[in-house]
Amino acid sequence: MTINQEALEEVRTAVAAVRDPEYPDLNIEQLGILEDVVADAAGIRVDLIPTILGCPALATIERDVLKAARAAGYEVIVQFCSSPGWTPDRISDDARKFLANEYTIAIRPRFGPTPCPVCGKTSLQDRSEVGPTLCRSVKWCPDCRNPIEVVRSRQGVNA
Amino acid sequence: MGSVNWGAHSTVSGKTLTNVRLYNDIMRTWRDMDDFEEFLDSGGVVEPNDAMPEPYRQAVFRFIELHANSEYMGGLTERDWIPKAPGLHRKLTALAKTQDEIGHAHLLYMVAADLGIKTREEMMVDLLEGRTHFHNVFHYRVHSWTDQIAVAYLVDAAALASQQAVFKNCSYGPYKRILRRVIAEEGFHMRNGEEMMLLMAYGSDTQHEMMQESIDRWWLPAVQLFGPDSRPDDELLRWHIKSERNEDLRDRYVQKFVPQLLACGFTIPDLGLEKDNNDGKWKISPIDWEPLKQTMRNGGPDSARRISDARNAWNNAEWVRDALTNQPAPT
Repeated sequence: MTINQEALEEVRTAVAAVRDPEYPDLNIEQLGILEDVVADAAGIRVDLIPTILGCPALATIERDVLKAARAAGYEVIVQFCSSPGWTPDRISDDARKFLANEYTIAIRPRFGPTPCPVCGKTSLQDRSEVGPTLCRSVKWCPDCRNPIEVVRSRQGVNA
Repeated sequence: MGSVNWGAHSTVSGKTLTNVRLYNDIMRTWRDMDDFEEFLDSGGVVEPNDAMPEPYRQAVFRFIELHANSEYMGGLTERDWIPKAPGLHRKLTALAKTQDEIGHAHLLYMVAADLGIKTREEMMVDLLEGRTHFHNVFHYRVHSWTDQIAVAYLVDAAALASQQAVFKNCSYGPYKRILRRVIAEEGFHMRNGEEMMLLMAYGSDTQHEMMQESIDRWWLPAVQLFGPDSRPDDELLRWHIKSERNEDLRDRYVQKFVPQLLACGFTIPDLGLEKDNNDGKWKISPIDWEPLKQTMRNGGPDSARRISDARNAWNNAEWVRDALTNQPAPT
């Protein structure tokens, strides 16, 4: 098998569509988990950036990526990279909108305070550093009185 | 017990909620119960700042409190299996599931406390004193790793099915929003449970046998999770807190899981189970609901130990709560 640009693009298209196990409506490209598809000495390598180290979904994502590549006719190697680190900034704009509207999950905007995804006001109060998953913290919106989960970066910086 | 600032808004039952800013500056009111029910029937969603009728507030509160308690007790059960899970990957999963369940309880208790009927601490104390309830499936002992798989595969699926049915048409906004995320996460648990079940099903004879023993223990509790047939005048249905009748959910569950288990070479522990030749549907034996009622009153086979474990966990973490309450202000 020759690895040319076309092959890499085909793999990228195939694996980009892999759904996230916890947000089945979003794919790994929208969430910024898919970093790159490259050719290395051993073949085609898919580089993934985990949202958080120790994420329990990694094995599932890896399996799904291998399956998607195979369906497109390619055997690939999956590599989880520790650098660059994942940050909420990697989430695409359409995924941000979707997470806010469908899941009421807020993403720290690239600039300014985080608005409540329910009422849009910006007075979220801290409740706990981590929520149901390690990649989200829990806030309380005193305006619309909803608990709000905010995607946090793994550096632990308050989202 | 140190006093804890749980943060969630606490109000006294019955008082008008005047001390909060209003969601979109609108506080909706209804003339009477008929007016309110008409609003609900037309798909209306109630928000915390609305002047909801008191019986509705009480019903929503009780429902969410039961759900929160169940997530909390479920999280503690899951936690027991972190050190015992075979292999690093299973431990990671057990850790993540514990985090999920406790996190769900955290969100649900916030919404429940905000309804102004009990504070979060009151809910915890009531649970740990055995005065309130949690789902039947957490009143049994988890004997083995395959029991834990049966819980993940059979019980989580039943819980997920009932949560999906609540979500579909839920009239209380903050609860519906949490359920959206809970369902996504429980779906991941179920996938994990199914994967582990299949591993046992197609593993060695001993593994298959162990899995069968666990299915024998957990089938009935899972089927009972949906509860007895809904009463015709069930207010949870009338107020669109739930959207499907218990018996319909149970039936759909049976139609899905009986063929799945049979296909994996397992038997179902129900001698009366048969396939109806007319409609091709599986019919289970009639259920004796008396033991379930006893279980739900915290008189199940393992209720006392579960509650005392939870009490110990709560007491052992008192220093953490104290440290959080007394932490110096951020500089």
